[in-house]
Amino acid sequence: MPAKYLEAEVRREAGVAVIELRGEIDAFAEEALAAAYEEAEAENPETVLLDFEGVDYINSTGIALIVGLLAKARAAKKRLVACNLSAHYVEIFNITRLSDFMGVYPDRVSALSEASTP
Amino acid sequence: MTAYGRPDHGGGPRVLTEFSLPSEPGNERRVADDVAGAVESLGLAPDRMERLKTAVAEATMNAMEHGNGYRPEVPVVVEVISSSQELLVRITDLGGSPVPVPDPEVPDLSAKLEGLQTPRGWGLFLIQNMVDEMNITGDRDHHTVELVMHLEEGPKGGEDAS
Repeated sequence: MPAKYLEAEVRREAGVAVIELRGEIDAFAEEALAAAYEEAEAENPETVLLDFEGVDYINSTGIALIVGLLAKARAAKKRLVACNLSAHYVEIFNITRLSDFMGVYPDRVSALSEASTP
Repeated sequence: MTAYGRPDHGGGPRVLTEFSLPSEPGNERRVADDVAGAVESLGLAPDRMERLKTAVAEATMNAMEHGNGYRPEVPVVVEVISSSQELLVRITDLGGSPVPVPDPEVPDLSAKLEGLQTPRGWGLFLIQNMVDEMNITGDRDHHTVELVMHLEEGPKGGEDAS
């Protein structure tokens, strides 16, 4: 099975920096994820939303990369939130307690709606 | 405890598949998909199948990285065995390092966010949470991680578990 390297695109919606993710979040994703986060942070948004709709695989290294982004966001006093995770990865976010530290929403509309609430 | 062995045509434990793959980054997904294909007939609930695939991928990654040092010429061997009660997936590396012991320190996200723990270190933790049992055995020539899924609804059963 050929690896589906991560592609990440940054958009701005309702004052939120949205990082649209497609592919796999594993060790190969580090560079793309870091570059996208840097681009998202450049406009100094209050909230950065990771949209996992196009992601079909996250491994333990990918979890570590997300922990790294969360640490960066917290250091910069920004909110990092997530949406469109599959049920399996919602479970993994619960087990790892990522969902205790970042809002996890079923879809982008609910994430943006919540993010725009002060 | 169920006894396992070679194929038993009388309906006992049977080897569903056995194969090996080079220790190359990304092959963990191939292993997870091949194991999922091999156990399809067992009728695991979709959520348990996803957990099994994650555990298999993580165990394979550990075997390739920590056991075999990502040397492609050193294979990871995978064996899938089922009985009426259990599904076993054994993942063996040929590393010469000590048998890995699950870290007694549970990954603590608060500590990781404060820089008190490395952001990594989720692999064995995920495996332990995805399957019903995990056993690690080995000697100086190889390590085997054995993943066990109870085929009757167990403590980590699906949404309909009471």
